[in-house]
Amino acid sequence: MPLFHGSQGCATYMRLYLAHHFREPVDIASSALSEKGTVYGGSANLKMGLKNLIIGYSPKAIGVATTCLAETIGDDIVQIINEFRAEEKSNIPIIPVSTPSYSASHEEGYARALQALVQSLARRTEPGGRINLIIGSFVSPADVRYLKNMIIDWGFADGFILFPDISETLDAPREENPPRITEGGTTLEDMVDTANSRCTLTIGGRFQSSSAGGFLEREFRVPQTALPLPIGLKDTDLFVSMLEEQTGIALPERYEAQRGRLLDTLADVHKYLAGVRVAVYGDSDIVLGLTRFLCEAGAIPAVVATGLRSTRFEAEIRAASEDALILLGADFSQIHDKIRNARIDLMLGTSNGRQISKKEGIPLVRVGLPNHDRVGATRQLLVGYEGATRLADAITNALLDENNL
Amino acid sequence: MSVIKTFEGREGHISQKTGYDPVSLSCSNESLAGAVSQRACVYSGARVVLNPLTDALHLVHGPIGCASYTWDIRGSSSSGPDLYKNSFSTDMSELDVVYGGEKKLARAIRDLAERFHPPAIFVYSTCIVGIIGDDLKAVCRSATAELGLPVIPVRSEGFRGNKNEGYKAACNALFELVGTKEHRPASPYAINLLGEYNVAGDLWAIKPLFEEMGIEVVATFTGDGRVAEIQRSHTARLNLVQCSGSMTYLAKKMEERYGIPYQHISFFGLGDLASALRCAARFFADESMLAKAEEIIERETAQVMPKIVYYRSRVQGKKAAIYMGGAAKAVSLVRAFEELGMEVVIIGTQTGDRDDYRKISCMVRDGTVIVDDANPLELRELLAVQKADLLVAGVKERFFAYKLGIAFCDFNHDRTTSFEGYDGLVNFAQELDASLNSPVWRLPLRRSSPIVGSQGSEIEKTIEKAAEGGVQAGV
Repeated sequence: MPLFHGSQGCATYMRLYLAHHFREPVDIASSALSEKGTVYGGSANLKMGLKNLIIGYSPKAIGVATTCLAETIGDDIVQIINEFRAEEKSNIPIIPVSTPSYSASHEEGYARALQALVQSLARRTEPGGRINLIIGSFVSPADVRYLKNMIIDWGFADGFILFPDISETLDAPREENPPRITEGGTTLEDMVDTANSRCTLTIGGRFQSSSAGGFLEREFRVPQTALPLPIGLKDTDLFVSMLEEQTGIALPERYEAQRGRLLDTLADVHKYLAGVRVAVYGDSDIVLGLTRFLCEAGAIPAVVATGLRSTRFEAEIRAASEDALILLGADFSQIHDKIRNARIDLMLGTSNGRQISKKEGIPLVRVGLPNHDRVGATRQLLVGYEGATRLADAITNALLDENNL
Repeated sequence: MSVIKTFEGREGHISQKTGYDPVSLSCSNESLAGAVSQRACVYSGARVVLNPLTDALHLVHGPIGCASYTWDIRGSSSSGPDLYKNSFSTDMSELDVVYGGEKKLARAIRDLAERFHPPAIFVYSTCIVGIIGDDLKAVCRSATAELGLPVIPVRSEGFRGNKNEGYKAACNALFELVGTKEHRPASPYAINLLGEYNVAGDLWAIKPLFEEMGIEVVATFTGDGRVAEIQRSHTARLNLVQCSGSMTYLAKKMEERYGIPYQHISFFGLGDLASALRCAARFFADESMLAKAEEIIERETAQVMPKIVYYRSRVQGKKAAIYMGGAAKAVSLVRAFEELGMEVVIIGTQTGDRDDYRKISCMVRDGTVIVDDANPLELRELLAVQKADLLVAGVKERFFAYKLGIAFCDFNHDRTTSFEGYDGLVNFAQELDASLNSPVWRLPLRRSSPIVGSQGSEIEKTIEKAAEGGVQAGV
């Protein structure tokens, strides 16, 4: 269970934001800091919050994320948590992470939370043979499910530890008497064991300063390979090759067939996509993957925008496309200005582009978080050969619809 | 006696009506830490009240999150300008927190004014601004002087209380605009509508009714609103207040300074709508207007009645649970459910006060549970105990209801269907019918299997037997 240390609104807005996207109930507790708390410190509220959370939800672990308020009044949450543990004689793992909005972007927040997890939980015991597979930036539950199935099909006897695993927790089936905390996800035991794995493969998150895989490498000498998200043909190839290298096992035949179908699909749609000018925007890792995929398919990533300011990101985009207009640290009014003057045929990104899409009459294929106005975000598959195939279909059909064909 | 088990300190916030005694409920206090309250913050309250002003520029002084997570989430429609659909932010970073954000704010105001030429700018303060002590007032004052347009600070630091404090902050900001432009209403019968946010175009079903009665609506606070209308609103003779939680404070201020009396009304439900029209006509004590109001009520009611009767037959007898932000909407819903033959078994609000709950407890039937500042665990228990068929609430509760197999109706700012006015009630009834009577709730949650069943199939029994005997099952 997550708890935000700050004012009630921070938790509520995040619940709204995530519930909207996933179309799932999302419970996030708050320490509900008020004026009193900001004057005298938030320790009492945080402890009370933890206590109630444990009573109400019986979680196996609690993540405590800070907000602007908690950080600026100078609450030392690590100390407060330690005090709480001693006072309540509680041994529930409580994972603190510092995430004030002003300090960086949501992408960095995601990376910090992952790093905080291993920092708090990973313990060296017996060296094991497993491979950590870290989903280093945001993808959908369907994407995680796909990757999970893939590593099961791989048949690697020593196995994998995949995290974070939102495949079940944020896309839960309907059932009688649903549990208070959704089932699924990576187990605590596995998180502890990440320190003992033979290696780590991280996909995405390469443009952030925090890194769970980096921490495991520094602290426990678990060597890490950081890859881009497996979006499109070549980046999926890269991911697959790395798995083959680490496991010594070849890609299972059914995925070879998927790869073949992707190539077949790209051949089928290549004329529809030829020269199509696309504006791509959103989180850096997804944008990079989409940009490379568009190039593979013969479309033109004419405008490429992300909120991040990273020269490395810029260089990788430039390597994929010489002519792309790249916007770093972009906001939507800048993106709008560029789209207006770039003869764009299609927008590819989050539902935050909906106003631009409507105003300019440009079709928008929704990819990434948030998708607040269309259904199916949890089931949208983007990664792997199959994800690329579906994306090619979706883009082509959006263009065909637009042209009344 | 408590209805369900809950957190220590929350017992007094839940009560069941029994007999004639009005329920006395703990309310108007801080949310319990760790209990997953459905409430938001001060900033959120200010934002939802002011944001529907379509031609104003809304600038959030704070880190990007506050602006980002409130961007375009209010379903208030505009008949013209769409500047309000932007969520401008000063995007405060670590350095601004250390050195102060006043210069950055002043620059942002200047840039935005130059670029968009808005008639007014609202500058919202956030938690961080309250802590580091940026002088919003001073920055706004000098910007007003420099740019020649109202730049109004909104004191909405998130931690200063709950949404109610934010409503007040918004009302104070609006009040700075009221009376700053001269106007002579064309009609001697001029009113303002307060607490009408034009969600899904609600206002457009209401305004024509008043106009037909010969009434001029000078300003709507704030649905499909314009800055100039607010500035002229002091020239109205009556304020009709719908969302009382957010706007009574402003109505009182306007009464004090401009002598404009106010009345609480609601445009939702046949009975409340008729009362609202009559209320305006009676205030102006004009016989022909009263007659016109009756004519409209009769005509419009007759027009929608066949549909209402139809939907009523589809939903009557079902049990409804209401969980709203404010009490006014909740109260109006109780009456509408009565009109549709449904029973209200739970009614709760995020920010109701003592008077609200007293009023509610006088309206509802015996056995109805009244709850203040509920959380998902309590709601879940209550829905089960009270056997609710339907929950009316906002987005956060929607998927929660569906997971429990309970029908749902969004009565919050996210809805895309108009519920006010005569056709609005038909839309509402239609939505209830669509959810309550959907076949999806009757689909079997558990598949009946020829080989696996709750009783245990032949094969399973064989396996069990084999396992008991220490023999490997050869399946």
